[in-house]
Amino acid sequence: MLELMQGPLLISILAAMVRIATPLLFSAMGELVTQRAGIWNISVEGTMLLGAVVAYVVASTTGSPWLALLVAVFACALISLIMSFVTIVLKAEQFVAGLALNLLASGLTLFWFQTYVIGREPPKFAGFEQVDIPFLSDIPILGPVLFSQRALTYVSFLLPPLVWFFLYRTRYGLEVRCVGENPKALDVKGLGVGRRQCLAIMFGSLMSGLGGAFLMLGYSDRFVPDLIAGRGWLVVVAIIAGNWMPFRIVGAIFIFALLEAVGIHAQVVGVAIPHHVFLVLPYVASLALLAGLRSRTHQPVALGVPYSRE
Amino acid sequence: MISIQRRSGSSLRWNVVCFSAAILGAFLSSATLLALSGGDAVKAFSALFTGAFGSQNALFGSLAKATPLLLVGLGTVIAFRAKIWNIGQEGQVLAGAMMAYWASLMVGSLPYWLALSVIALAGLSGGGILGLLAGYLKTRFHTNEVISTVMLNYIVIFFLAYLLDGGPWMETGVTVAYHQSPPVNPALEWPELFARGAGKLHIGFLFALAASAFCAILIDRTSLGYDIRAFGSNPTALRFRGTNVRRLLLVVMLLSGALAGLAGAGELFGTSHRLRAETLLGIGSSGIVVAMVGGLRPSGVMLAALFFGALKSGAIYMRLQSGTPAGLVSAMEGLVLLFFLCAAVATKFQIVRSNVHA
Repeated sequence: MLELMQGPLLISILAAMVRIATPLLFSAMGELVTQRAGIWNISVEGTMLLGAVVAYVVASTTGSPWLALLVAVFACALISLIMSFVTIVLKAEQFVAGLALNLLASGLTLFWFQTYVIGREPPKFAGFEQVDIPFLSDIPILGPVLFSQRALTYVSFLLPPLVWFFLYRTRYGLEVRCVGENPKALDVKGLGVGRRQCLAIMFGSLMSGLGGAFLMLGYSDRFVPDLIAGRGWLVVVAIIAGNWMPFRIVGAIFIFALLEAVGIHAQVVGVAIPHHVFLVLPYVASLALLAGLRSRTHQPVALGVPYSRE
Repeated sequence: MISIQRRSGSSLRWNVVCFSAAILGAFLSSATLLALSGGDAVKAFSALFTGAFGSQNALFGSLAKATPLLLVGLGTVIAFRAKIWNIGQEGQVLAGAMMAYWASLMVGSLPYWLALSVIALAGLSGGGILGLLAGYLKTRFHTNEVISTVMLNYIVIFFLAYLLDGGPWMETGVTVAYHQSPPVNPALEWPELFARGAGKLHIGFLFALAASAFCAILIDRTSLGYDIRAFGSNPTALRFRGTNVRRLLLVVMLLSGALAGLAGAGELFGTSHRLRAETLLGIGSSGIVVAMVGGLRPSGVMLAALFFGALKSGAIYMRLQSGTPAGLVSAMEGLVLLFFLCAAVATKFQIVRSNVHA
């Protein structure tokens, strides 16, 4: 009897882990490319929030989650131009620029939320549907965990290998990594440093927007201002803990996702521990990960250093 | 022909032009935002101004709102001048308030001024300890302080949520749970400077003024301040000079956190009189904006704190008069910061007109 209870619970926890990891994977793979190009962009949290807001607005007015996703991604790509302008053209402190974007995003969201959402009838909301992959979803345990998810989750599985291939097996990927390590070398060859950094910031931003939009459209039916709740910061932690290497970052993300999944289920099952303990676990774990995994061998040398030709 | 060149010194007139343009830009874009959302910008901003400066009470209210921003801003200045990116002010404000509340439960029998000092010290130490923790993580484990302070924010927020929601500090015996503590012992409330109800300007304002003088002297006139500035511009040189960089980092984080903690204690015992997350959250991030907009100088921070305190104070009246949500002020904070960031870069350049014959 006990085992019968435990089987479905375990599957449910693992399935939750995979869906929780999806938006983090999108954001992290984008931010990895940005950081590999030497830009210390800490505005992931704010960009995810903007993506979620735009997705919510479009989905609730047009009813199409896919259009909402597209517009959110486009909006975040546009927003990234602010970051590019401040960091590449003005060469301001990158940390400060990211901080400003985060504050701007949360401030605008709060204003929009108080103007349009709070105290009104919540709009009818169609998010993404679950897509069962034929045959594969019938496999015991693995089927419900991996192959009965939202369509974008399957895309997120492909992303780390794709980003790895881009960074390590293509010419442009090599150039992007070079921007982060030794921008002068690239500049001397006549290849534009600023253009590559701008594109890397844009890619990171649109992926973060994708992550935020998925968070909104995948599993929520209403908007709350703290929807992102630190996930953007966990993404940055995962990149540092993963030593700027795609697959290790995936590992760190799945640790956070598992902790959150366990926390959700502990609340539902009713464990006699205050649920706050489970809520705080990912953040405690992130500090432990950073203190434990201190290898920074793959940190881009020029990370956070504005490049100027002098 | 017109060209843009890097300026050798700085020009006061050009600085004023750049920063005035930044404020103008922020107000114009906020007005656009209001107009887009169907609001009346002129009505909203005039209500905002009346609410902030329209009467003596309004002015005191603005100063009261500026008090925690000034303290947090000063703490941020100490850290940012050393290029130590402490952004854990939210958590440090909460930790200060929590420590002060804890202390207040034990000092009821002490003479009033002694009890008040103990509570203020507890506030300082609450924030200071949290700052010190992030500093320790950096010196011992090389944990990036941006990340550790943000993570500590979340940890403190959840800890407070536990204490006030099912934990030992939850208000009991009420029908609706508001996730707040019972009121603090009325005998321990911080004294108000003027007649009761006059904008709730409490003694914490004097603490903030004293802290401004302290920071100005610390940064410009002491060897610790010199080390802080040197650490920000050239840490390697400082190391070669034989300065104990680890200790410096810990001291900076301690001071930075302590000032934020005092802000939290002041809000709890001077203004809200109940421990409640909603009244304290947001002070930390506004304090960072204040520090940046104030140019990381104590005098500038005082001006910026007054500006943003006035915005926050006026926002209440604005909402009543024109129905504009108070969240507009949060959006304006972000806009002002972004425009100031660009203006600060612009001050380093000059526009040169020269006659070049091709």
